[in-house]
This record gives sequence, C-alpha cells and structure tokens, in this order.
Amino acid sequence: MKAITDTMASGDAQNQAPLTSKRWLKDLADGERRRLTLATLAGLGVGLCTIVQMLLLALIIDRLLTGAPEAPVGVFFLALVGVLVLRALAQWCQETTAQAASLAIRSRARAVLLDHLAALGPVRLASRHSAGLGSQLVEQVEALDGYFARFLPQLRLATALPLVILAIVLGLDWLAAVFLLLAAPLIPLFMALVGMGAQRLNQAQFSAVTRLSGHFLDRVRGITTLQLFGRTASAVEDVFAAADDYRARSMRTLRIAFLSSAVLEFFASVAIAVIAIYVGFGLLGYIEYGPSPSLTLFSGLTILLLAPEFFQPLRSLSQHYHDRAAALGAAEALVGILNEAPPGSVETQPEGGDSVDTSVRLTEVCVEHVGRGQVLGPLSLEVSRGEVVALAGSSGAGKSTLLQLIAGFVAPDQGRVEVMGDVRPAWMDQRALVIKGTIADNLRLADTHASDYAMQKALSRAGLAELFARLPKGLETLVGERGAGLSGGQAQRLALARIFLSDAPLVLLDEPTASLDEGSETEVAASLAQLVEEGRTLLIATHHPALMAIADRVIRIEAGQVVEEVSA
Amino acid sequence: MSSLLSELRPWLKLLARRRSRMLLGALLLALTVGAAIGLLALSGWFITATALTGALLAAGVAASLDVYAPGGGIRFFAVLRTVARYLERVYNHDSVLRLLAELRSGMFAVLARLDARALGSRRASEWLNRLTADIDTLDSLYLRLLAPPLVALLAIVLVSGLLGLFHLPAGLSVGGVLLALWAWLVIGQACLGMAASTRRVASLDHLRGRILETLQGLAELKSYATLAHHRGRINEDQAALYADQWQLGRVAALGNVLVGLGISLTAVLALWLAAEAYRSGTLSGPLMVMMPLAVLAMGEALGALPASFTALGATRAAARRLNALGHSQSVLSEPEEPVVLDKRAPTLRLRHVTLQYPGALTPALDELDLTLKAGERLALLGASGAGKSSVAALLVRLLDPDQGEVHRDGIALTGIALSDLRSRTAYLTQHSEIFDDSLAANLRLADPNADDTALWRVLELVELAEWAGALTQGLETPVGEGGRQLSGGQARRLVLARVLLLDAPMVILDEPFSGLDRAMAARIASRLDTWLAGRTVLYLVHQLRHDGSDPPGIERSLTLRDGYLS
Repeated sequence: MKAITDTMASGDAQNQAPLTSKRWLKDLADGERRRLTLATLAGLGVGLCTIVQMLLLALIIDRLLTGAPEAPVGVFFLALVGVLVLRALAQWCQETTAQAASLAIRSRARAVLLDHLAALGPVRLASRHSAGLGSQLVEQVEALDGYFARFLPQLRLATALPLVILAIVLGLDWLAAVFLLLAAPLIPLFMALVGMGAQRLNQAQFSAVTRLSGHFLDRVRGITTLQLFGRTASAVEDVFAAADDYRARSMRTLRIAFLSSAVLEFFASVAIAVIAIYVGFGLLGYIEYGPSPSLTLFSGLTILLLAPEFFQPLRSLSQHYHDRAAALGAAEALVGILNEAPPGSVETQPEGGDSVDTSVRLTEVCVEHVGRGQVLGPLSLEVSRGEVVALAGSSGAGKSTLLQLIAGFVAPDQGRVEVMGDVRPAWMDQRALVIKGTIADNLRLADTHASDYAMQKALSRAGLAELFARLPKGLETLVGERGAGLSGGQAQRLALARIFLSDAPLVLLDEPTASLDEGSETEVAASLAQLVEEGRTLLIATHHPALMAIADRVIRIEAGQVVEEVSA
Repeated sequence: MSSLLSELRPWLKLLARRRSRMLLGALLLALTVGAAIGLLALSGWFITATALTGALLAAGVAASLDVYAPGGGIRFFAVLRTVARYLERVYNHDSVLRLLAELRSGMFAVLARLDARALGSRRASEWLNRLTADIDTLDSLYLRLLAPPLVALLAIVLVSGLLGLFHLPAGLSVGGVLLALWAWLVIGQACLGMAASTRRVASLDHLRGRILETLQGLAELKSYATLAHHRGRINEDQAALYADQWQLGRVAALGNVLVGLGISLTAVLALWLAAEAYRSGTLSGPLMVMMPLAVLAMGEALGALPASFTALGATRAAARRLNALGHSQSVLSEPEEPVVLDKRAPTLRLRHVTLQYPGALTPALDELDLTLKAGERLALLGASGAGKSSVAALLVRLLDPDQGEVHRDGIALTGIALSDLRSRTAYLTQHSEIFDDSLAANLRLADPNADDTALWRVLELVELAEWAGALTQGLETPVGEGGRQLSGGQARRLVLARVLLLDAPMVILDEPFSGLDRAMAARIASRLDTWLAGRTVLYLVHQLRHDGSDPPGIERSLTLRDGYLS
C-alpha cells in the first residue's frame, strides 16, 4: 500500500457551498425532530390547560356573583384542580423532553467539530489559539443549549397559542379581539428590529469572550515570565482592562436584549390595561358601540384573564430570544471552523510495482504558508526503506515543513508526495504531548493494547529506566498537562518511548534531542539505531552530531531547498 | 448550611461594600413585582365592580362608581411594570459586571504573587478556569440568589397582607402556603441540586483540559492513529458532565412545575375562602375576585427561584476554590522595609539550602552550599531534573527554600523587594514564554520604555535583525500563540534577546543556545561575551561540548546531580 498526497486531493470540500450558522442549527434540530416536536406538543398542552383554567375561574366567579345564591360550584372547583394537575404533567414533559433533545444535539455538535479539527490537522491548528478553540468547543457548544431546550419549542407555541386565545376572545367580544390583534403584529415587528441588532452584538460579544479566554491563558501560562520581568502589575491592569472591555461589550448587548423584552412587555401591559378599562366601561353600559352592550361578567372576566396569556408565549419567546442570539453567535464562530476546508488528506492507494524498496518519494514539491510565502521547495527526495536520513540546516530553513509534508499534516501546493506502507509514520517534535493521566495512559497513546512489559521496555529504550525504577507506582504514576511532574527532557523521552512502542515503519523526528544532555543524547542515538535494526526508516531534523552520526545520509536544507547532500 | 454560609461570607462582604447599589437594584426588582401584582388585582376588582354596578344600573337602581381612579391606577401599574423591569435589568447587570472586572484582576494579582510550587502544580487551563468561570459563577450570588428570594418574600408578605386586610383567614392561609412553597423553592431545590451543580465547573474544566490536550498533541495522536482512542476520554468527560446536567434539568423542571401548580392551587384556595366569605356576606364581590388574581400574579416573584437555587452548588464550589487560592501558603512575602539593590555585579550565596517540591520523592536540593562571586561566570552542569532550575528559581525568588538561606551581597533575599530583585536579575528560563502579541511587545516585556533602536540592537545580538527587517510588518509582526509562527530556533533567540534587553547586573541563562546549530551558537556566543562583561553570570547547561558552541567565558563549572554538587 502507498499513500499519495497531491494538489488534487483537497478539491472535495471546496466545491460545497459554505455552511451558514442558521443552516447548521436547522440540521442539528432535524436530528432531534421527534423529541423537539414532543416538547412543542407538551407545551401546547400546557397552554390549552391554562386557557381552560382561566375559563373555569371566570365561570366560578360568574356563578358566585350572578347566579342563584346557592348555585353549586364545587364540581367546577374539582375540575379546576384536575386541569391544574394535568398542566403540571404537561409542563414536566415539555421541559424534560426539550432538555434531553438539547443534550443529544450538543453531544453531536461537539463530535462533529472535533472530527473536523482533527481533519484540519496540527499545522492548520497551530495558527489558531488553542485556548480559544478549547473555549469554543466547550463554552460555545454549551451556548447552543437554550436555543434547542427553550427557544425552538417556544417559537412554535408563540404562533399557535395566541391564535387559540384570539379565537376564544373573538367569540366573546370581537372588539376586545381587535385590541389584541392591534397590539400583536407590532410585537414581532419590533422584536425583529431589536433582535437583528442584538444578534450582531452577540457575535461581537462571543469573539470578545474568545479573545478574553486567549488573553487570560496566555498570561496565566506566562505568569513566571511576567514575574521575572516584574510585569505582573501591568498584567493585572491588562486583565482589568480586558474584563472591563468585556463589561462594556456585554452591556451593549444586554441593553438591546432587554429592550426587546421591554417593548413586548410595554405592549402587553398597555393592551391588558386598555382591555380592562374597555371591559369595565362596557359593563357599566358607557359604551354603546358594537358588541359592548352584550358584555357579561363571565365574558369580561374571561377576556381579562386570557389577555395576559395571549402575550405570555411571546413574552417567554422574548426571554429566550437571547438564547437564540447566543446560539447564532456561537454557531457563527463554530461554522467558521467547519467551513475551513481540510488540507488534502493522505489517500491510500494500491502499491505500485516500482517502489518496493522506497519508503518516501517527494517529486518537485512546494509548500506555501500564508504570510510567510514559499517555505519549501521545489524539492525532490527519495528515501529507501531502512535508511536513516538526517535533515540539517539553520532554524526556519524548512526542515519541519518537510517532515510535516511527509506526515500528511500539510498538503503540497505543487508536486507529489508518496509514502509507502499501511501504518502512518510515527511523529515526535519539540513539544512532546503529555496528557493528564498515568504514564501508562501516555504510552498507550502509541499502542492502545500495549502490555506492561512492552511499556517498561519502551521506557528503558528511551532512557527512562532510571527514573522509572524510582517511581513507587510505576506505570500508574500520574503526570499532568505539559508534563507537570516531568522535566522537559523526561517529557521528551516519554514521547520517544511511544515511538519504540509503535510499529510504524517510518519515523519522523523533529529535533528529538533538543532538550537532552549529551549523555542522554548518545543513549537516544543508540536507541534510534535499534529502531534502524528493526528495519524502520528514520527522518531526523537535528543539529546534534550524535544523531547525524547514525545517519546514512545528511541532507542540508536552506531556504526550503536542498543545498548539500553527504552520504556516510 | 453553616459551612455554606462561611464559604460565601467573603463574597457577601464584597457585595456589602456596594450596599447602596445593591439596594437600589433590589428596590427596582421589588417595584417590578409589585406593579405586576397591582395590575392584575386592580383589574379584577375593577371589572367586577363595574359589572355589579352595571347590573344595578340596568335594573334601574341608582348606583355610581368612580371609574377614573382605578382606571388611572391600572394605566400607572402597566407603565411602571415595564419601566421598572427594564431599568432593573440594565442596572443590576451593570453592577454585576463591574464587580466581575474587579474580581478578575484581583484574582490575577493573587496568582501573580504565588511561588513556583503553587503555579507548577496546576494545569494552565485550570488557572484560566479559576479566573473566568469561577468568578463568573459568583455573579449569581446577588442577581440570582440574594435579591430574588428577598423580593419574593416581600411579595408574599404584601399579597397575604392585602388579602388579610379584607379577610384574615384567606390572608393567613395564602401566606402560609406561599411561605412553604418559597421554602421548598429555596431550600429544597438547593439540596436536590447541590451535588450535581457543585461538580459542574470541575466537569467543564476536565472537558476543556482534555480538548486542549487533543488539539495541542494532534500531531502525535494522528500519527499513532490513536485519536479515536483519546476521543473516548473526551466522551467520558462529556458523559459525566451531561449526566449531571440531565439531573439538574429534571430538578429545575420539578421546581418550575411546583411554582405553577403551587401558585394556581393557592389561587383556587383563595377563591374558595373568599367565596365562603362572600356568601356569608362579609366580603364584597369585587374584593372576592381580586384575591385569586393577586395570588396568580405571584408567578412573577417566584418564577425564577427554581433555576437559581438548583444551581446553588455551582456558586458554592466557585467560592470554595477561590477562597482556597486566597489563603494559599505559597504567597511570596514582601519585606516591610526593603533594602534597595544597586547596579553593581552582585555576589550570591546559598547556605545549607534544602528544597522539596510537593509530592516529590526526594528533595530537589539537599543542604546545598554555593557561592557566586561578583563578576564571575559559573556554569552549573547536570542532566535535566538535577536541580539546576531550582537553584536559579531561588536566586530570583520564584521559590523560597524550605531550609537554609540565600544572600545577595550579604542581604537575605527576603529583605529585598521582589520587583527590585527581579529587575536586577535577568533570567532566561528553559521554557520562556512568548505571548500572543507582536515581536516588539514581546521584547518590551523586559523594558516597556525601550525605543525601537534598543530592540533592533538586541535582535542584532541574536541574529534576528535581518530576518525581522525582511518581514512586511517588521517589529509589529504577530508571533502567534506561544510563538508558534516562529521556528523553534527563532523563538529561542527571541527570548534570549528579551533577556538581554533587561540590562541587569546578574544574568542567569538556562541552555541559551538550545535548538541552535553550532555555527550560529558560536557567533552569538562571541557577541554575548562582550555584552556579559562586568556582570555576574550563572549558566545552566546539561554538559559542556567544548566545540565553540558553549556559553562564553566560563571561569568555573560545577556539576549538580540529584540535588548535590559533585
């Protein structure tokens, strides 16, 4: 098997129209259509029960005040209690179903994003702030909650329930219905105007949160550096300024977000007040026009009790409107990730007959980085199986890019990369990955089924035997982020141990001994030689003589091109 | 309960400092709730009164009703409710965010005074979480947990008082039932949600840490094809988070259901009692109608309580973590009457110094004695983990020793102001941080007042000037997170240049040329040699290579092995 990367491979993703945030939210909702519909129906049940409750209340009061002195009302009281219990059950169903839908949607959204980031690869991610990304994948995905759990079910209720109430009021007194109808269309109009502004501001606020998060992690990580230069006081001021800027942004968003509900409440309150006064004057017989003379205590009271309920679904919707704005803002940023086309992936193709002895073949490859221009090429290179090639050259010459190209982390802008073999190349760079967990967890990143014996052997081959012997908990010893508990050299050697554990035929090493002392470096060089004996192919970017010594070939790269090649 | 109060006390005190702002906010909140109750109660009374009067008029009986006062009252309550609600929300959110900005910078100031033991023991993402999420969570203290229950209590007293005024039994029963409901919404909901909501921040933090890990180590995970395996860890963390959220969601739903049911049933009870009174002739019709309507309006006052108190544990956990940070033993002390350092190259002396990191098996330094003479260049050799960085950390007080003393020109370091000591000591650490900012901003950390000429001069020393000059944005070129837009060697030379900009009489360089090729190391070494003249210098190196790429001018070298000089 061989893998081929070339310029043709990345076409697929770019041909599709970019995903919009609204489209993405809709796709996510479609995935949970059943639960969301059930939640809406339950919400409709709550609304209908509330209408019946108000009708019964008005009926009881009417019977008490205008009926015969001993008219029976007990049965209505019982019915009222029954409706209230029914409403409680429907409300329970609405809230829990919507919550379940939201949890399922967020899980899926996060999975999709992680898949996509993995497809983008490490080199593309290097240009993004990983704390910002971390916050996006945690906080911004969580920010989708309100939209699915509250806003979306409420959106449908906000159109259905007012119509039912309007129909009832229309039957009782058409003039009162006209008052409601006059107030109602103004509301969505105002909300749309206000909502559009709020959404824009919300996006701005989200990018502010991401920046703030990046700003903080940057300073917290570098707190020792800040301490050493005596810059902590000014960093504290920076932090205050960033937080205060965040406050100013938030208040701009909130003032508008609150205004939308205030407008709604204003219309609702005024409409209720107008109806109360209209019904009162009608009952007094002051109004001769239209249906007013036929108003009764029952119809008047029903209209008064239903009037707030007419506006209630819209009020709830407006309370959840910032949920929508928050979700759209979050989705906008997240869709930005999803719309970044992944680089051409390494496609595995049947092996050609000509390359049995070849491990890697580069043909006239060029790589460009945005803002740095062409960093590599045109360059051609062929590495045989079992060969050890050292890449020398000054820092920034393109050695790392060459290794990233072979690893499949970047696609060539021109030319062709062929990597033979069905196991991906093993990788190690200057920043070793140390995950929070045990040493065994860290080693099993290279081989999930590795035995304890294999792990111990790998550790000793990487020069960690002495340290390992001192650990009472052995492989179960806990280490932390960025190798807390391990020195830089130890973390580097842990990453090296992973290579020994893997069975990758091709090993790519980017400055593997940068943090090791000479003695360890010689040991590591010896260990690497064992890898060669196993028949593995090594490509090592290095400055160190001990590593160059084990190479069959030393290739010197300057300004992205091969300038010298020395065979041992 | 008492532990909850003691955990929240420092933060309640902080709120008390802004008492008038908080009170005004609560007043606006009470006004909103009062207006809602007034609007519905008065409307019900008015309609019934007009209906009864209208019936009398229709029957030809002389009757009259003042319609203008109640009509005006209804309009007044309608406008008041809207205006008070808007002002309350804007005002209270502004108060909370003002507080947050202060809290965040205050907390960062506490972090900045912690020593290397405390800072090294935590993941960077956990610190971030402490600074942002914990403090953000505490905003719920006033706006969600303090003002609303008090206002709700006030509203209960108001409504039951109003009812009691006209019919005492109705007032007492409604007051009793609503108080019981209030107690459940505050205490019961808090108890049911406590465990799950206490874990929330920590669960989010785990998830964030895992995701950061995945993104930063993507190269290795992809190459070993174990990304899917590692994703399993993310899924586990997320499942734990969502199991808690599911429980909290159901508890909050229970509370919401109880608010709706409780208030409606209380309204029914009020109507029943009022109807009895009406039938016995002790209560008028309009007042009878007013009673259940006033109770129904209580939804406004109680509606927000379930969600807030179900999440009480989150506030408690945040307060607990921040309290612990403030009381940390690792806060470095500042002298009361500091001795001021001069610009001359100092003599440094470590006497019987012992240092042990928390959780470490053996001391990092064991009874160490070391003297560094003024103007001397000493190389401290040893493998990684031998204790070289610990010695350096002691000399700039990133750490204080467990035992023994460190002197500079005969003055105990604890007698020198931290800022003075550090501005007179240039220390290039093994992992010097590059900030996500421009080249110039990164350099000016060492000297904010340095002009461009000074920056170019130090860049010249480390051979970055030519490269930087060719960049379109020059010194203003952004370097990316952790300097990722730079190659490893460029990043190393940049932090070296930054240390040189500090121009201090004492210089500590930890592997100054790591990641550089030999020829460049040799060229930079010769320029460094001139720059270092007349300064006291401590080099930390794994091993001398004697090939021209060693740090320049080493007069003496000592080897450190497992915390001992050998």
